[in-house]
Amino acid sequence: MTASDEFGHLDTPLEASNSPALTFEVFARCSKTKARASKMHLPHYKAHTPMFMPVGTMGSIKGITTKQLEALDCHVILGNTYHLGSRPGPELLEKAGGLHKFMTWDRGLLTDSGGFQMVSLLKLANITEEGVEFENPHDGQKMMLTPEMSIGLQNAIGADIMMQLDDVVSSLTTGPRVEEAMWRSVRWLDRSIKAHKRPTEQNLFPIVQGGLDVDLRTKSALELVKRDSPGYAIGGLSGGEAKGSFWRMVSLSTDILPTNKPRYCMGVGYAEDLVVCSALGVDMYDCVFPTRTARFGNALVRTGSLSLKQGRYSADFKPIDKDCDCPTCANYTRAYLHTTATKETTGCHLITVHNIAFQMRLMRDIRQAIVEDRYPAFIREFMRIRFGKTVPMWIVGALQSVNVDLTVPDSSGYSAEPVADDFQKTPNAEPEL
Amino acid sequence: MALRFELASAKASATSAPRRGKLVLDRLVGGDVGAERPAIMLETPSFFKYTRHGLQPHLVLEVAAEVDALPPATRVQLEDFLDSDTPDCNQFEGGLHKFIALDTTEILMLDTMDPTITVRTAKPTNTYMAIGSEGGTRRLTPNLFAQLVNSLKPDIVIPPADIVEEPLPSLTQGKRISKSVTRSAKWLDECMAALTHPVAVFAPVVGSHSLELRTIAAKALAARHDIAGYTFNDVCLALPLEHKLRLVQHSLELLDASKPRYMLGASAPDAVLRAVLSGIDLFDSTYPYAVTEQGLASTYVLGEDDSTSLLPHCLDLWQEAMFADFGPLVDGCTCFTCRSHHRSYIHHLLKTKEMLATVLLQIHNMHWYQRFFDNIRRSLERGSLATDAALFFQRYGCEELPSSTNEQNKQAGRPFSELDTLAAQLCSPTTKIQRKRHAESQAI
Repeated sequence: MTASDEFGHLDTPLEASNSPALTFEVFARCSKTKARASKMHLPHYKAHTPMFMPVGTMGSIKGITTKQLEALDCHVILGNTYHLGSRPGPELLEKAGGLHKFMTWDRGLLTDSGGFQMVSLLKLANITEEGVEFENPHDGQKMMLTPEMSIGLQNAIGADIMMQLDDVVSSLTTGPRVEEAMWRSVRWLDRSIKAHKRPTEQNLFPIVQGGLDVDLRTKSALELVKRDSPGYAIGGLSGGEAKGSFWRMVSLSTDILPTNKPRYCMGVGYAEDLVVCSALGVDMYDCVFPTRTARFGNALVRTGSLSLKQGRYSADFKPIDKDCDCPTCANYTRAYLHTTATKETTGCHLITVHNIAFQMRLMRDIRQAIVEDRYPAFIREFMRIRFGKTVPMWIVGALQSVNVDLTVPDSSGYSAEPVADDFQKTPNAEPEL
Repeated sequence: MALRFELASAKASATSAPRRGKLVLDRLVGGDVGAERPAIMLETPSFFKYTRHGLQPHLVLEVAAEVDALPPATRVQLEDFLDSDTPDCNQFEGGLHKFIALDTTEILMLDTMDPTITVRTAKPTNTYMAIGSEGGTRRLTPNLFAQLVNSLKPDIVIPPADIVEEPLPSLTQGKRISKSVTRSAKWLDECMAALTHPVAVFAPVVGSHSLELRTIAAKALAARHDIAGYTFNDVCLALPLEHKLRLVQHSLELLDASKPRYMLGASAPDAVLRAVLSGIDLFDSTYPYAVTEQGLASTYVLGEDDSTSLLPHCLDLWQEAMFADFGPLVDGCTCFTCRSHHRSYIHHLLKTKEMLATVLLQIHNMHWYQRFFDNIRRSLERGSLATDAALFFQRYGCEELPSSTNEQNKQAGRPFSELDTLAAQLCSPTTKIQRKRHAESQAI
């Protein structure tokens, strides 16, 4: 499953950027959309984008060994600073030589700042100019996470990419708080840059904020670009906002952020989100969804997902996906997985492996389509399989903005009839074999 | 397909003495005449790999492959698949090997029950063995069992028997045991009559703690010509091991000594040694699973050196001392876990309830168990098993035989008692998946 020959014949980048710890080379651009396929040279690994990063919260991806992750062709995985900062803590991680050595993973690592977890997990998180004030869940003591402390933790963890501590505001919030958070995040970025002790070994990415406000988001992106960072993240989204607003904010951000640097959309997501956002010019993604849903017995497929616990699979002797070459699909039937999903850890692992393979294969297919300049056709085919005619309106709108109009029939006669639902809950009927 | 058992020594006259042997399975491939697969060989004493829903606990195929030199023998229990009265896996045309993606170079044994579940409430009747499941009590008649075997096509089967579960002797025990002997014999007959697939039957040797009834049961089995081996899965679980082994030996005196003997409930290393010395050939790997579930890594060694100083039989990865320990689980261990990871990381995984903890520990504990059996066979070949075992008991502080109840074993902090702890454990340390029918057994 190696992706090493993806850019085979392409050896001259169309554009590139060289930062102390990151080189980004765009090798192919879609002639219709804003999609691009690139190589990102990180201290530990040469990743290919657009790229999906599975989330390994506490230093492992839910029961999967690092050897399995390599076999699944994962390039970069995520670790959570908040969790790792409490256990095992920065001193131990430093002693171990960083998270790479601690967990025996020698490819790419990315850590978030810890801010998001704090705000979503803790009861009394009070945000001040200094930082995030919270109650330590173990002893009730008042503690503070400042941008400097977050960088300190992330320096100890040693990931290839670190995220700035940002003033995270729910995407559903309105009013002056959004602007306050946006400017504070910029100030916190500058403090983070100053506190960063390892700029030649680790990359610090700023996070574009501004909620769903065009003006604020524009200002945020422009400010961040002035800092000439190695890459940029698009934050404050994927929090339950209407998808129509979501895609507009993503696209606005990618229009302003430099094209010769990687753009990372945090917390995204479902397969259709990855396909659309790649068309909008995003290069990196992370989401707990594929690995989390696996533990509930849900296997990802191009039509949506299969809830393998359902009775209909008890005598279904097909693999999850006949086009998937992961070990689970090579060896097991849906019927077998039905007997063990949610009952045994091996049941979880089998579906987790498949779901990671699914995500990796999707990203490989996206990259391949961009390299061969047939991404619009790929998008259409993807949407046809995923939604049939009833494609959510937000997807149709987002794609139209980048010159792909699903409502116009293509040569096969397929066209979309947009529906209002933000996403399709039940999987599309499986296409006839 | 033919299963045969070859004893290393021609004089198999001593029925209750330890012996080296070889279980050999010749299996024809498909319908191809002359397209024989090389015979599968299992050197004994050895063990069948314990599985849950057909896979080794915590280890998916590519991870299980990291543990090398494991015996090519796997045991599966039917109760894991009885989600309905006739499970849908019955309709699967590839057979059980394919359903669980087990390589055909493995000997597959199909049993009815999970040996780690020690307390059962579902009561058998004259016509069926009762098996509790999420959807209700399943009725496993000998006929249904035979039908399933004919579709699933395992290599070895342990047919249903009426196992006496009541732990404490009582006045009515005699009648209960007598009924179990009659029923088990009747069920065996019905099962054999309905079997069409050529499986090797390892018949349960029943009689519980009644010597008289054990004699009747054993004599009846010895008179049969359609039995390939013997299973000891009935010895009343609350009895001390010494007592259990005497009951086993009593039956062995009357059985055909040239046939292989599989004993359940004797998976812990000290029990294995005592059982091997009493003439048992086959075990299962429930013990390493129990060790993993406690967050422990096995360290016990048989016969590799002469030291007698008291040693721990395992390493507790939960202890705070592991927090900054960057050494492998066991120095010099060549398993995947010890080569790739260190104690500090595994300790962290346990504390943060990450499933990878039990994956990594299981790899090590299976590797260690396999090494133990390797050493048993070598000891036997050298003729030094009795002395090596005595040294082992001394070294790990288990010269005293295990006491009569699981509670007492646990309380005493007795080494090798992880299976006793497992019996009462609610769920795996790193997940919220509840152990099957724990709630049911707690109701007793």
